[in-house]
Amino acid sequence: MVFIAIIIGCIIGAIIGIYAPIIPYTYSGYLAIAIIAALDSVFGGINSVLKKNFDIKIFVTGFFGNAILSILLTILGQKLNVDIYLAAIVVFVGRMFNNLASIRRYYIDRFSNKNEKVEAEETVTTDTVDTSKKQ
Amino acid sequence: MTKKEKMNKIVISIIIGLICIVLVATILMQFKTVEETDITAIETMREAELRTALSEWKTKYEETNKQLEDTNTKITEYEETADDRQETANLIDQELEQTNMILGKTDVKGPGIIVILEDGDSEVVASDLVELVNELRYAGAEAISINDSRVVNMTEIVEIDNSYIIINGSKRLTSPYEVKAIGNQSYLTSILSLKDSGYIDKYRNSGRIVNIEEKREVKIPKYDGEMKFEYATEKEEE
Repeated sequence: MVFIAIIIGCIIGAIIGIYAPIIPYTYSGYLAIAIIAALDSVFGGINSVLKKNFDIKIFVTGFFGNAILSILLTILGQKLNVDIYLAAIVVFVGRMFNNLASIRRYYIDRFSNKNEKVEAEETVTTDTVDTSKKQ
Repeated sequence: MTKKEKMNKIVISIIIGLICIVLVATILMQFKTVEETDITAIETMREAELRTALSEWKTKYEETNKQLEDTNTKITEYEETADDRQETANLIDQELEQTNMILGKTDVKGPGIIVILEDGDSEVVASDLVELVNELRYAGAEAISINDSRVVNMTEIVEIDNSYIIINGSKRLTSPYEVKAIGNQSYLTSILSLKDSGYIDKYRNSGRIVNIEEKREVKIPKYDGEMKFEYATEKEEE
């Protein structure tokens, strides 16, 4: 069900994005930062799902909060003539890499565990045990 | 419990779907913006960037303008000097023409008189011609010729062996001697025809035939020899 929601959401979003008007270049910098923040939240969410401590409230607030905060920081940086958005990018992209690394590790662990399990089963096989275990 | 869980799941799905919509839409918008920006850079450039670009172009424009002005002033200067040179060249040409005329290197014409001197009872000698030339010069003749040989400042009129008269180095003169002079006609004639002491009376009395004729246009040819200094050089002023 969640997967279906994701797919439908992506399709609708793509349609909206394709037909949306172009935003001026001045604001595209802010939007880019917001996108990076949002992607970071998404990867964080996936990671938390895999670690089984996913909370929809934290995810939603993180998604929008990070985006808005990064935009505000970028504006502040522009007012102060400091490239704060660079710091934001470093932090978000770094966290994205961390999250991706833990996701990767999770799947590698699962895959190798499965293989070990299969090997263990093959060594002690009888048809009946196999079927029962599978069930 | 199951109902609540199901509701929860639906809510989560809807929220995640909405988040997906927002995320994908913004990402695609950003993609489009970035792509378009490359094509129409100026329209979507930041104000500050535009300002810097504008000021750069302005300075460039000013520099180029300055260069143009400099080049223009140079061109006018060159033109002025060219004009000056033209003027000096013209002046020099005029001077040269005048000098040539004074020296007798050009054919000249103008109002004047023709004096015809012929051997009569006594022969005409070189000194007679020299005196005539002197008289004419005294009367302000600007150009003189004897039998179409121009009399210039280096001209000699000499008698060789008391038998024939030579002018301008090699030209031999014979009677009748036709002396042409350009100048003020009345001066010329009046000086020559003074009573008793004048040239005409004097030589007529001593047995030569002298005729004088006024002409509105007398043509005098140019000096056809070579004029050059072999020994004299210009003295430099110190």
